Amino acid sequence: MSIDAHPGLPEFDYIKPTTLKEASDFLIAHAGEARPLMGGTDIFVRMRSGGWNDKYLVDVKCLEGMNDISYDPHKGLSIGAAVNMNRVIASREVQDNYALLLQAASSVASYQLRTRATIVGNICNASPAGDTIGACILLGGVLHVHGNGGIRQEPIKTFFKGPGETLLRTGDIVTSIHFPVPEEGARGVYIKLGRNKASDLSIVGVTVFGYPDVNVPSGYRIRLALASVAPLPLVVDQVEAILTETSIDEDRLMLAAEAAMHACTPIDDVRASARYRKVMTRNLSFNALKVVWKDLKKL
Amino acid sequence: MAFHRITFNVNGELEQADVPSNMTLLKMLRENLALTGTKNGCAEGECGACTVLMNGEPVNSCLVLAVECDGAEIVTVEGLAHDERLDAVQQTIIDAGGVQCGFCTPGILISARALLDRNPQPSEEDIRIALVGNLCRCTGYVRIIQGVQEAARI
Amino acid sequence: MVMEETNTKVPSPIGENKIRLDAREKVTGAALFADDIQFGSGLLHARVKRSPHPHARIISIDTSKAKALPGVKAVVTGEDYPGYIGLYLLDRHIFCRDKVRYVGDPVAGVAAKSEQIAEKALQLIEVEYEVLEPVLDPEAGVSPEAPLLHPNLEEYEVANFIFPEPGTNISNHFKIRKGDVESVWDECEALVERKYHIPHIQHVPIEPHVAIAKVDETGEVTLWGSSQSPFAQRNLIAKCLGISQSDMRVIAPYVGGGFGSKAGVSMEALAVVIASQVKGRPVKLLLTREEEFYTAFVRQGLVAYFKMGCDADGRLLAMENKFFWDAGAYTEYGVNITRASGYSSSGPYEVPNVKTDSYCVYTNHPVGGPMRGFGMPEMHAGLEQCIDELARDIDMDPVEFRRINCLKTGSVLVTGSKMHPIGLTQCLEKAADAIGWGSKAPPSAPNKKRGKGIALMWKAPAMPPNAGSSAWVELAEDGTLTVGVGGQDIGQGAFTVAAQMAAAALGVPYEWVRIATPVDTLYSPYEWQTVASRLTWSMGNAVVNAAKDARRQILDLVAEAWEEDPQNLDIVNGIVVSYKSEREMPLKDIAIYGLPKPDDQGWLGGPVRGRGNFMPSYITGLDPETGQGERAVVHYTTGAQAVELEVDLDTGRVEILRGVSAFDVGRAINPELVEAQMEGGFVQGMSSALFESMQLKDGVMQNPSFVDYRIATSTDVPLDLENIIVEVPQDDGPWGARGVGEHSMVPTIPAIANAIYDAVGIRMEGPPFTAEKIYLAMLDAGIVK
Ligand code: FES
Ligand code: FES
Repeated sequence: MSIDAHPGLPEFDYIKPTTLKEASDFLIAHAGEARPLMGGTDIFVRMRSGGWNDKYLVDVKCLEGMNDISYDPHKGLSIGAAVNMNRVIASREVQDNYALLLQAASSVASYQLRTRATIVGNICNASPAGDTIGACILLGGVLHVHGNGGIRQEPIKTFFKGPGETLLRTGDIVTSIHFPVPEEGARGVYIKLGRNKASDLSIVGVTVFGYPDVNVPSGYRIRLALASVAPLPLVVDQVEAILTETSIDEDRLMLAAEAAMHACTPIDDVRASARYRKVMTRNLSFNALKVVWKDLKKL
Repeated sequence: MAFHRITFNVNGELEQADVPSNMTLLKMLRENLALTGTKNGCAEGECGACTVLMNGEPVNSCLVLAVECDGAEIVTVEGLAHDERLDAVQQTIIDAGGVQCGFCTPGILISARALLDRNPQPSEEDIRIALVGNLCRCTGYVRIIQGVQEAARI
Repeated sequence: MVMEETNTKVPSPIGENKIRLDAREKVTGAALFADDIQFGSGLLHARVKRSPHPHARIISIDTSKAKALPGVKAVVTGEDYPGYIGLYLLDRHIFCRDKVRYVGDPVAGVAAKSEQIAEKALQLIEVEYEVLEPVLDPEAGVSPEAPLLHPNLEEYEVANFIFPEPGTNISNHFKIRKGDVESVWDECEALVERKYHIPHIQHVPIEPHVAIAKVDETGEVTLWGSSQSPFAQRNLIAKCLGISQSDMRVIAPYVGGGFGSKAGVSMEALAVVIASQVKGRPVKLLLTREEEFYTAFVRQGLVAYFKMGCDADGRLLAMENKFFWDAGAYTEYGVNITRASGYSSSGPYEVPNVKTDSYCVYTNHPVGGPMRGFGMPEMHAGLEQCIDELARDIDMDPVEFRRINCLKTGSVLVTGSKMHPIGLTQCLEKAADAIGWGSKAPPSAPNKKRGKGIALMWKAPAMPPNAGSSAWVELAEDGTLTVGVGGQDIGQGAFTVAAQMAAAALGVPYEWVRIATPVDTLYSPYEWQTVASRLTWSMGNAVVNAAKDARRQILDLVAEAWEEDPQNLDIVNGIVVSYKSEREMPLKDIAIYGLPKPDDQGWLGGPVRGRGNFMPSYITGLDPETGQGERAVVHYTTGAQAVELEVDLDTGRVEILRGVSAFDVGRAINPELVEAQMEGGFVQGMSSALFESMQLKDGVMQNPSFVDYRIATSTDVPLDLENIIVEVPQDDGPWGARGVGEHSMVPTIPAIANAIYDAVGIRMEGPPFTAEKIYLAMLDAGIVK
């Protein structure tokens, strides 16, 4: 935020296309000066601070399918790109089958902000601090993207190129996000450390997701993703390896947590120092792994 | 910059307005409709002073475009009382001593009303979480939380 | 809540929990704040071009392109406004003229038909700077090698109790020389020497600063603003512009949180100057939240050194203190905070030998203003930790240590005068009791540690010796009462308390009283400023005097009409009664039209308007070399806070479980409102202890938004807050009352710091005690791995 932040929004034109194609075409015709508008929670802040100054905002919220949320016990969960986080949190199906996603979404900002914020928006911002990104990756989320060449799918795990950068191209509109049915007995947790107890951005965010897997020596497959401690949302593959190789106990979990600490590459910023982030990555990873492991053992 | 004609409902009254693309709902309420109960504390979604109900759900009106309200139903703090009768939570927050400077109060009342609508029996924790996006610098929140608890009791 | 027994009987509604006068309009959205006033389409919008550098010389300003932009109505620079402005030390121009001295210093202002045009115009203003070496640390700032920020300091007009040192960056140097500290260090059984660094924080009212100014053809100025100081603004701005105070009118509707940030003059003068270029048009300047963070007053930083010692019995023998206040580019209030912290530098203790040097230092940081506590939270933050350490060093319980040393009625103060009747010991004991001092509950989880901490405080209203108040009361036809005050309700409930006092002093029901709002310097009675927790006491006295004046007029009139002695008359519940003749007459039959003469030939009386004022007459100066004097302040409010908390060993996060506040308020006019101040102050203090700091890097704030300047939210506060009211009456307070608005955030930081120490055994150089700081300190100390 600069001292010159505007009191109001800069000038732009609001465009409300009626079809995806129309929207895509407009974005392509105005490449570099148009941007799709979803919840606006991020766009308006950046426009006001002078960071972004697009000529057009293309409201894609009301396009077909953008507001649907559906669950099929075989195919999984599909969340339209414009479905706000509070709707996701309130959804019975999400509560029953994707508790991890619910937990991650609930940790975002405030209730009123979540009336506008969306999971897809959270992903597309590609902020290393995105609270729901870890859950989306570990749950195997895939984005459906309407682009120039038709519809394509982008797994979230490989979606990010750099801070704020994704595989999206001009004219692309993410229409929904899909999650497969979680593995039998799956458990997950999101532990977020902010400066306040709630509503803050994360200093460190740890997502852990695991399920019983008879094909690995430990009997469990447990994965871990980190927020705010690397330029991109980070999945620490070593954690999965450490926790499949041999049977799990607290020492093993600590080993995995230390692997997470070594894998992360945090920086010093106004929110916290790199040093603190590193040790917190270890401590919170350990705690999160312990929660999931204990849950899994209870099965 | 383009203007858009929009029709919407504010506090039960149908309104029509021609708004520029970049006008926020907050600005429209305060400047076009003189509904100044809704406050501007940060213009970036962080303080909650601008909270209003949009189609029954609380939003930060500083982060909603006026043009996005075409067809929407908006309730501001001015719309909480009916026929001179205060909404329950307005009264309980007064009684609990949850008002000091009063600048956060409209947003808090809207958040509280929305909470009670979706969850008539909220726990203390539910109330705290529902209000986390409404900053108050004066009261220390305790009396506000107690006021909402009381509103849920009656 | 526990009420101290007092014997004096007080009239209703004193001591009653009346609902705030303004509550209903505040919950319905009807309450008008400055930005809510509608000015119609003639309103112009102002924006201000600000310095991006902490310290630079202005080489040139080119406004020609901005002036040529359609829709721009005025562009203003400092060129046309050579006057100086300031409360105690006139050290700044409204717009910078030669130099800029902090990031955000106003360089030019624009008024335009819309905010957007004004914004565009700002971008068209070209300013050329020669960047100068900045002063970014107050200790470095006093060294002779430091760049001089105000080379012409000696030419500035200054109040006679402020002592700048020209040729340096010291804008005030306050000294205490009491006894002889050097001679007693050897006698001390224990000595503690510590350095603390208290960061800049900000008031963060949820309502940002806003001012709307209009200048008539004749030059008369009207200013609407969110203001704690309409009269001070009238005076200071008029003086700076060289106009009559009578030509300057300030209208101040409700204030959406002040805490000192809206006291004195900050951005209001900018709006006035810009408006003077577009006569007849109202011009609004509304700060963005970012501007608010960058440019509104801050609570200045402090580097404090303490050395203190006690004997084997735990008696404090000496204190030696050095305070370097990081006052920023100009010193609207900083110089007097420096003074106040000096004359209070012993803390609430009787100490025979004290040596203090308190320096107010110019730096290229944001301008220090008054913030709730006026230097006391910053000073007590370190002092009350040292007291704890001393107690532990001689194996004495910290509560016992405080009991021995704390001020009692008649104690000799650090300035040499005597303490008035005081209930500090009761506050200490009650707070300790309520927190369960001495017992330790097990932590709620194995990875947590629990601790308790306590701290005392004292604070006097810091103000010129002759800061005055006035009030009027006027009866309407139906006998109801309108009270005019110039003090402001900034959320603390001043209007409600004024109404209670007027009702009690005149003898009408509380429900009959209203306050004439908004405060308007054209019609409202004079009030120095709404600061220093002085309204209940000072404005309260004026209100009581005004109500008594009206009462006297009424009783004299009735006595004459009834041919009775006024001594036998009374006003009870809005009815004049005679205890002798048992006659009765409602006020409505008297208020406006008077009464017929006893012989029915003509009339007596007339519209009743009572007036009253109050100004302390007994304040003397302090010797500039020793800081000793007869009576430096009007009174001290004292109190204690205690907390219980847990530290999370995995993260370092502190959770406050319980808080207790106990303050001697003399007399609680409205106990609920007193408690609300205690709670709000506790949480604000807690927020400053745990979360807040302005992260200044090379003079630039790194966290200028709510995203990164975190304050306590609804999820961070303990619901278990206990408020204890102690009442040892103030001799010159209305029914014994003294103020408590600020005091409740004074001891919070050290109470929390002492509890953290109790929990995990670490101390830090200063707040905020963030999870990170605590964790890393524990890591370095080997408490966690
Ligand atoms: S003004 Fe909208 S959240 Fe602060
Ligand atoms: S009452 Fe002042 S901000 Fe809440």
